[in-house]
Amino acid sequence: MKLTVLLSILMGAGVALAQQPDQPPNVRHVIGLETIKRNANGHLTIQNGIMQFTAKKLEAKVPASSIEDVFVGTEMTQSGGTAGRVVKTAAMAAPFGSGKALTLLMRTKVDILTVVYRGADGGVHGVIFSLPKGLAETTRTQLVAAGAHMSAPQTELKERTK
Amino acid sequence: MKIALGVTLMLAAAAAIPSQTPAPTPKLHASAIQIDLVEVGDVSIPAEFRYAIYERLIEQVRESRKFEKVFRSGDKAAKNVPDLVTLHTSVEAFTEGSQMKRELVPVAMGSTKVDVTTQVTDKDGKKLLDQKVAGKVRIFGENLGATNDLAKRITKLLVASF
Repeated sequence: MKLTVLLSILMGAGVALAQQPDQPPNVRHVIGLETIKRNANGHLTIQNGIMQFTAKKLEAKVPASSIEDVFVGTEMTQSGGTAGRVVKTAAMAAPFGSGKALTLLMRTKVDILTVVYRGADGGVHGVIFSLPKGLAETTRTQLVAAGAHMSAPQTELKERTK
Repeated sequence: MKIALGVTLMLAAAAAIPSQTPAPTPKLHASAIQIDLVEVGDVSIPAEFRYAIYERLIEQVRESRKFEKVFRSGDKAAKNVPDLVTLHTSVEAFTEGSQMKRELVPVAMGSTKVDVTTQVTDKDGKKLLDQKVAGKVRIFGENLGATNDLAKRITKLLVASF
């Protein structure tokens, strides 16, 4: 009985985290922007020829004309961000490995956007963002329209992770 | 008598061996290092892994404080440093695993692994260091975690060599 209740709570939490209500799309900065922390969530905008990422009070700007390449990919990852990680860690205490059910429930497909640009000093930077599914292609199109370059056209999203 | 002589000779030879062990390799010296972009050759590896390795290497080598300056690939200022060394990283093999499989069957399934060859050259192109290094993620975390593991191992190698 207790096990059933615990499992129901854990599954409910997982589903709730996976189905977040309508909010402006959150973009996760994986790595690459020196003024922004790794894995910081924020918003990515492209305006007046500038790609801008804002996370809380911090912001990073990259002129689209300095972008040399943009790559798009997808990945299957854990949903729910930090809260999801906490719930999943707590679920590991559940008996008979039942917490592993959350691993199956808390999956989400994300787009990965890799932006390669050259700084003012000539140094190459590679910035990686994790975006909600379907947003990377649109963002790439916007970047190209704003003046970003691409070395080779990518015809389709390549899904790799099972 | 012959046996005693034989034993004596063998003991003498054994005693002589430790004194023949080569002296420890002298440490290399450089005030600055340039991190080159990761070469992938014919290996099929997603762009985000290539740039994540590059960015994490810059981050980790800077954090190690082993060099006064850490330059990105293409940085024009690097040319003016007389004792500059360059870190070259070439991907030899890549296996992309699955975070879900790793969490369901830890260690046995779903590991992500990147094998690279790391070389350090001086300004004249002379090879100062040449080693194979592997980065893995076997239990928790995203596939990109393998790039972090790899960067840590390469940095450790640099710290031990300089």
